[in-house]
Amino acid sequence: MPEWLLTFPELNRETLRALRRSLDEGYRGFSRTFGESIENFFDPLLAFLVWFERLLLASPWWLVLIALGAIAFGASRSIRLVAGVVAAFAAIGVLGMWEDTMRTLAIICVCTVIAVAIGLPIGIAMSRSDRTQGAILPILDVMQTMPIFVYLIPVVMLLGLGKVPGVIAVVVYALPPVIRLTNLGIRLVDKDILEATDAFGAGSWQRLVSVQLPLALPNIMAGVNQTIMLALSMVVIASMIGVKGLGQPVLQAVTNQYFALGLFNGAAVVALAIVFDRVSQNYGRRLQRHRQIVSS
Amino acid sequence: MRKLTITAAVLTAWLAAPTQSHAACGKVTIAEMNWESAAVAAHVYKTILDKGYGCDVELVPGDTVPTTTSMTEKGEPDLAPEIWINSAREVVERAVKEGRLKIAGKILKDGGEEGWWIPDYFLKKHPELTTLQAVLKRPDLFPDKEEPGKGRFYSCPSGWACQIINGNLFEAYGLEKAGFVSFDPGSGEGLSAAIAKAYERKEPFFGYYWAPTSVLGKYPMVRLEGMTHDPASWACMAKPDCANPKPNMYPASNVLTVVTSKFADSAPEAMSFVRKFSWENKVVNAVLAWKDNQQADAEETAEYFIKNYESVWTKWVPAEVAAKVTAATS
Repeated sequence: MPEWLLTFPELNRETLRALRRSLDEGYRGFSRTFGESIENFFDPLLAFLVWFERLLLASPWWLVLIALGAIAFGASRSIRLVAGVVAAFAAIGVLGMWEDTMRTLAIICVCTVIAVAIGLPIGIAMSRSDRTQGAILPILDVMQTMPIFVYLIPVVMLLGLGKVPGVIAVVVYALPPVIRLTNLGIRLVDKDILEATDAFGAGSWQRLVSVQLPLALPNIMAGVNQTIMLALSMVVIASMIGVKGLGQPVLQAVTNQYFALGLFNGAAVVALAIVFDRVSQNYGRRLQRHRQIVSS
Repeated sequence: MRKLTITAAVLTAWLAAPTQSHAACGKVTIAEMNWESAAVAAHVYKTILDKGYGCDVELVPGDTVPTTTSMTEKGEPDLAPEIWINSAREVVERAVKEGRLKIAGKILKDGGEEGWWIPDYFLKKHPELTTLQAVLKRPDLFPDKEEPGKGRFYSCPSGWACQIINGNLFEAYGLEKAGFVSFDPGSGEGLSAAIAKAYERKEPFFGYYWAPTSVLGKYPMVRLEGMTHDPASWACMAKPDCANPKPNMYPASNVLTVVTSKFADSAPEAMSFVRKFSWENKVVNAVLAWKDNQQADAEETAEYFIKNYESVWTKWVPAEVAAKVTAATS
């Protein structure tokens, strides 16, 4: 048999190398030309992140606890949840992880807000047009499956080490679920209800805000939940590009086989995730209940 | 009796036949460390042990502390190229004393250079910044965007031994008082990407790095003066809970190939090559620069080294082994 049937006819090494090099040079050139302006573009975000982190770190711990309890109560009206939140953060503080947890809390709050703020409109746009959906779905697939390190280091080349590239990496990874589930939720709304809405003469904005979104809310909240979970699971990866917080001690524990250190900080990440999730889900449920009362 | 001797003789002859090195060497696992020079060394080891001695070589990912610990506790992997002894002295010395590990030789003839560096373009712009003391006066030249008003010192990633030493040096030289923040880059890749980024845009950089590396080959930096090594207080510097760190400096590092005693005893011929494997920083830098320019991986780079630096590696092995390696790689 001829050679090309036995081994895959690949480009020769030199060509491949030249291709990789030219792509790299291209990226480096891009970073040299636009890097600084892109960095400046994100400066307000960085300033906000720094300010928010400082706020959490500089406030007395009891004030932060009270604030967290109040937020939990405001969102859920459940004393049990408030007690759980306060207990979780108290345990974190007692075990000496308060500062790292505050840093992580700050960055995850921002990431979640950004992800939802970007994800919701994209999800809505996707639900309204099959063509948009067709265009965006593959992008979401790439975002979810592309190994993180592939884009982590280029982002560092562009923006340096620290919070902003960390936020970008986390948002890219955590964004897809909220988009997918918003899209899905809206598409699953009963066609008869939509017909009825049209019959009552609702405009498209009215239809979206007062019918589609409320009915899609359980799905959207499931998306928000997944986004929060993914964001928190990225904490350790983000610490590999210099994001301070709970990820760093985990990384240290992994490289030095400090089992207990890893476990404590890992548990703190889990506690944060559960708090975030329960508070947001309770809020979502209350939102639905209000809507139902209004609509019935 | 006679029969037994004959059998033994036949057996030895059979063992000494072409498969000899196979039987003598067997399966060897080599740690491929997660930095370039060690990864290339691992592949050079692999190629020569595989083609020259007929070992069945497997590379496993590694890092200084986990690898030395695993070698001591589990006898796996068999061989670790490039153990920077300053980062693993305690583990390795104890294991050598207990007879679990053997130090095969100095893989870097010149040793390694660790220290605190600034880019050479930055020194040209601010020629007074030759010493640490001069840098300490100007935290404003190395601004940390995340800590407004302070200077950023790029330390080592979490979990690296140099993170602890840098932390102690940071305290001893009063960097905090001078207005600097120690920044954890999170990973070796992060640290080198930060240097690359600074270099591309000619931005300031002040931090830890080491040679030989392609990073320092590609992005020339200058090591700060004004820090001197003091053996007396050095032991304390490697401890995370050092009570009173005193000004000190990384000594020129001994960089060693470490093997398990099991491997050293079971494969004496291969071991004599492992003992001789030692290259100069000049060679390593050149090879790594080629690697970087060509975007080659460690395996291709090892191949490049074997093909182009015959005069270096043929000194490490007997002529017939060298011939086998050459035949197999050309």
